[in-house]
Amino acid sequence: MATIDKKTLSRKTLNKAFHHWFYGHLTAFSQEHMQTFGYLTSMLPIVEELYDNKEDQEKAMKTYTAFFNTEPQLGTIIVGITASLEEARANQGISNEGGVDDTTINGLRAGLMGPIAGIGDSLVVGTLIPVILGIALGMSEGGSPLGAIFYIIVWNLLGYFGMRFAFFKGYELGDKAVGILIGAQGKAIRKAIATIGGMVVGGVAATWVTVRTSFQLKNSSGKAYLVLQNQLDSVYPGLLTAGFIVLCWWLMAKKNISPIKVMLILVVVALVGVLIGFFNPGLTY
Amino acid sequence: MTISWIQASILGIFASLSSMPGMAGSTIGNYTLGRPLVGGLVSGLILGDLKTGIAAGVAMQLVYIALVTPGGTVSADLRAVSYIGIPLAMVAIHAQGLSATSGNAADLAKSMGTLVGTVGTVLFYGTATMNLVWQHMGWRAVEKGDFKKLYAVDWGYPWISHLFFSFIPTLLMTHFGSSAVQALKTALPMDGIPMKTLFTVGALLPCVGIAILLKQIVDGPFDFIPFFVGFTLAASLKLNLVSVTVISLIFALIFYKLDMAISTNRQAAAPASGGTLDDDEEEEDI
Repeated sequence: MATIDKKTLSRKTLNKAFHHWFYGHLTAFSQEHMQTFGYLTSMLPIVEELYDNKEDQEKAMKTYTAFFNTEPQLGTIIVGITASLEEARANQGISNEGGVDDTTINGLRAGLMGPIAGIGDSLVVGTLIPVILGIALGMSEGGSPLGAIFYIIVWNLLGYFGMRFAFFKGYELGDKAVGILIGAQGKAIRKAIATIGGMVVGGVAATWVTVRTSFQLKNSSGKAYLVLQNQLDSVYPGLLTAGFIVLCWWLMAKKNISPIKVMLILVVVALVGVLIGFFNPGLTY
Repeated sequence: MTISWIQASILGIFASLSSMPGMAGSTIGNYTLGRPLVGGLVSGLILGDLKTGIAAGVAMQLVYIALVTPGGTVSADLRAVSYIGIPLAMVAIHAQGLSATSGNAADLAKSMGTLVGTVGTVLFYGTATMNLVWQHMGWRAVEKGDFKKLYAVDWGYPWISHLFFSFIPTLLMTHFGSSAVQALKTALPMDGIPMKTLFTVGALLPCVGIAILLKQIVDGPFDFIPFFVGFTLAASLKLNLVSVTVISLIFALIFYKLDMAISTNRQAAAPASGGTLDDDEEEEDI
């Protein structure tokens, strides 16, 4: 049975665990165990504080040897949740039946890493970073360092404090966070975020991706009477760009072709396009 | 413009810090130092020409703005773009006597960066594969209960992977690359098929990045609608990204409220007693 005084993780240990994750989640990356070692180093201070007994420590650490990979910024919340679960497990006694055990913790980690990766990729990598970069690029036009400095400051402040918030929120809510993240409310939040992500990704595509054709038909005097790009733009501005994006999506999502292979297909498309005069970037030295 | 051994070594250290599994951690490393815009700032400072560095960085950032790495499926590892491609592009811009902020300089930067950037894929897989050795040592330490060793495995030993797959390649390629840049110019003229193809690929490449993001969001044809609304706002109405984001918030709010109302109704309909029809987030009023 649990001892009379309840074990609570100290603020210092939680900070340590957070910083270990903040720094080390990807440093020992391999294709086999992507963020597993980052997770282990993050849980170590927590496990060391909760269990005095070496055997209990080993037993607890073994839990976190399972494969882990998610979007690391938002994924900090999962580390926070497990910190709280580990604390609950320490209080019930490690070999206690029922309650929190290896299976609960790893089931939760496995169940969360997919949805969190989905939200994180569209929210952090697909929306937040392109928006900050977009503002920064405007400021750096003409060779000014201002935009780059702006990006460094804004992203790192948002990244650090955002991750810190996610970690402590996860710890505070514990397994209640799971309901929020994957319950009905979580589903509604994910759908809402997907809408923001979808619209911003559309904006990013229209602003920065430009696929243009140089295809023209000329009459005998050399005057172009059909400039395909202008025709396409009068139908829908950016039609060709949008078309190529949907093509890439279709190849990957519907035909299950890997991104690397899609890129190779694009190389072939580009070569053929250049040869027939459909593409011409108009380069000069 | 040449790149000295000292300058090349500093670039090598930044390449080690900034890769996808970089030694500065992904927030400061990959997502800050690894962005070509920041790479341009750093390379500009190291090579002593801030303006050209930033201009090359801005040009390269446009190519890689939306490339993501969901689950490491595609290695958008930008260490080679930011710390080999940009310095070499700066050398090339100087060699051609182009004005740093001209369109041609930006085009040259893009083609150099994209070409050299492909090396990043090799470096990424090299680093990840070599890290298996340290992870193996880590597993043995876990078996033995020697947990302190995990810190060395996670924070220390991967430096060795980066020595071989970030530092040395960057050192050699930037130092000797400056003369190769000259050779490349005569071997691959700008109006030739290979360079035209390279540039065209550079323009098409971000489509893959965008499509990878869409794959996360889009399940059926209807899910394309938000994407096209955003696209139309920017392409036809010429709104900037912050404005597009602000407009998207109202749609997100509507969908959230709608979804919550639907699920509240369902929960209310399930038990025999009729629930209230509020669109409240939770049924805490019962």
